Amino acid sequence: MATTQLLIVDDEERFLKTTKFLLENKKCGVFTAINGLSAMEILKNKRMDVVILDVKMPGLDGVEVLRRIKKKHPLVEVIMLTGHSTTESAIEGLKLGAFDYLIKPCDIPILLEKVKEAHDKKLAMEEKIRQVKIDKIISHPLEVFEKD
Amino acid sequence: MDNMNFKKVGRMILIRVLLAPTVILILVSGTLVYYFSSYSRNQVKNELIRIAADHRCLIDQFFEEKISDLKFISSLYTIDEISKTTILTDIFQKLQKDSKVFIDFGVFDDKGNHLAYAGPYNLKGKNYSQTEWFKAVKNKGLYISDEFLGYRNIPHFIIAVQKNDDVRTWYLRATIDTFSFNNLVERIRIRKTGEAYIVNKNGIFQTRRRSGGNIMELDPDYGDYQIGDKKKASFTAGKKISEKYLYAMESLKHTKWVMMVRQEMFDAYAPLILSAIVSVMIILGGGTIVVIMGYVLASGMAERLNIMNMEKRQMKTQLIIAGKLAEVGEMSTGIAHEINNPLQVMKSEVTMIREIVSNIEHLVKKQESENLDMLKDSVDQIFIQIDRCGKITQGLLNFARKTESTIKPLLLQELLPKIIGMVEQRARVENIRIIQEIDQDIPEIMNDPNQLQQVFLNLLNNAIYALKGKSAGEIRIHINQQGSDVIISVADNGCGFASKNIEKAFLPFFTTKPVGEGTGLGLSNAYGIIKGLGGDMTLSSELNAGTVFTIRLPIETPTYKNNI
Repeated sequence: MATTQLLIVDDEERFLKTTKFLLENKKCGVFTAINGLSAMEILKNKRMDVVILDVKMPGLDGVEVLRRIKKKHPLVEVIMLTGHSTTESAIEGLKLGAFDYLIKPCDIPILLEKVKEAHDKKLAMEEKIRQVKIDKIISHPLEVFEKD
Repeated sequence: MDNMNFKKVGRMILIRVLLAPTVILILVSGTLVYYFSSYSRNQVKNELIRIAADHRCLIDQFFEEKISDLKFISSLYTIDEISKTTILTDIFQKLQKDSKVFIDFGVFDDKGNHLAYAGPYNLKGKNYSQTEWFKAVKNKGLYISDEFLGYRNIPHFIIAVQKNDDVRTWYLRATIDTFSFNNLVERIRIRKTGEAYIVNKNGIFQTRRRSGGNIMELDPDYGDYQIGDKKKASFTAGKKISEKYLYAMESLKHTKWVMMVRQEMFDAYAPLILSAIVSVMIILGGGTIVVIMGYVLASGMAERLNIMNMEKRQMKTQLIIAGKLAEVGEMSTGIAHEINNPLQVMKSEVTMIREIVSNIEHLVKKQESENLDMLKDSVDQIFIQIDRCGKITQGLLNFARKTESTIKPLLLQELLPKIIGMVEQRARVENIRIIQEIDQDIPEIMNDPNQLQQVFLNLLNNAIYALKGKSAGEIRIHINQQGSDVIISVADNGCGFASKNIEKAFLPFFTTKPVGEGTGLGLSNAYGIIKGLGGDMTLSSELNAGTVFTIRLPIETPTYKNNI
């Protein structure tokens, strides 16, 4: 199975460092961002599969970052990580297209499990898109030249 | 203390309620009695004066008549003619036919010799020159005597006139029948005690007085009124307090006699006294009614004030509780969140330690297997403790937020017995009776059965805990409808809360259980849930008597509330 390209966004630097270390051992390509803006920067330059996103951050808050990610990179799966398990932010996150949410403190194995599920979903989605494209090309081969 | 205050308020209301009507009642009746009494006093007085004046006229007329009779006779005859007994007797008999007022006639010369006499006594030949009356008539030409006994020794009075012939002076005397004269005066009667009589200037009775006093006796009450030179007067006099009699007097024209009319005060003012008594009774009766009404009103009002005050105090306590809980709710979410972040970091770190340990396990296993096991155990323990912290912060967050609720129609009268069934076995072991007073007509309510179950299980567990070791433990669950709400109360007769703890009961982490037995989150979570479901939860409790939790739930779909 391909390595998962993972981006962790949290305002706790030590959490980023340790979690990066832990997840890199589990065949993940891990990037970290200390706030929403740098997360968007990384997403612009690198292809990411899954984003782990803290809901409560200074500056751009998690929900806002989620909104931007889903707008610019709709295929990237997002797992919300919240210390403040209000149903509102969870529901809002799910409505905005988050894959799932986890409540702090959460076990790293569980987190990894969710990351895997999210990545699988993304892969399945990409596979589906590819299939549709192939079907399209097969049924209307000329369209390949008409439009990208 | 407070009770005293309300008694004071009650008294104040009573006094104010009574003051106005009492003052008005007294003023009105006082004024009425005053005017009526002065009016009727005048009336009584005037009536007495009028009677005295009327009868004075009557007596004066009587005297005038008799005097003119005598003058007429004396003008008809000379002394020689009239001195003949036959002529005098003839005149006397003729006059007697009309009226028996005259008892006898006598003719006297200027020496006082009784020349002729007509009447029942034989007085002829006596000499009267030294008698009082003869001297007076000689002096004045006309004389009316006081009552006296004279030669005949019975009370009588006389009228004498002087006649001047060309040569000689002579006198005609008539004796007046005392009894017919007396009747003129004595028969006057006013109410019960009103009477009339005549006295002379010295207070000697000239007519009989009905209430005591014979002719020619001294009026025993004369000391009370001195006639003096007054022509007419009215006054009150008497030896007793407030003076016993009301008097009216009129002087007669032809004699120095005085016509007296008197009436006992009590009799004269009887209507007045009656009216005063009646009005006093009305004041007393009316006053009593007003006092009773006022008392009922005032005590009712004080009672209502007392209840209102108690309600106010209760509401204040509830408000304080709600305010405190809201504050704590806000704070605890903040705290929970702030603690969760470091917990997450710690968890990552411990996970890393565990991984590092497992990475280097094979290197040290041989030499340090014991230490390695201890290290692993320690790491596991850190995991457990972090999870414990996480549970506590979760509990805090549960208090302040509502979990997702699934609202559906439910029947409390079906749900509650089911919940009670879950704890019934435990209650039976503890010898606790669970009494269900559930109104079966309660409509379906829209609410979350799972959360309600959590709340009621918590309350029932608390009640069972409070009844531990008690002999006649009882839990009473009562449900009824009140308007658009359903009221559920869970009451126990267990140990109760100390009053200082009532306010804290819903606070997170407040517990009366020993360390390790309770987290202090049960009631606070129940409170958070009920608030989140649009309801309300209150508690009243007395130490060693029991506790009542009352929950109010809306029948309609609850309006969601984010926070308490």
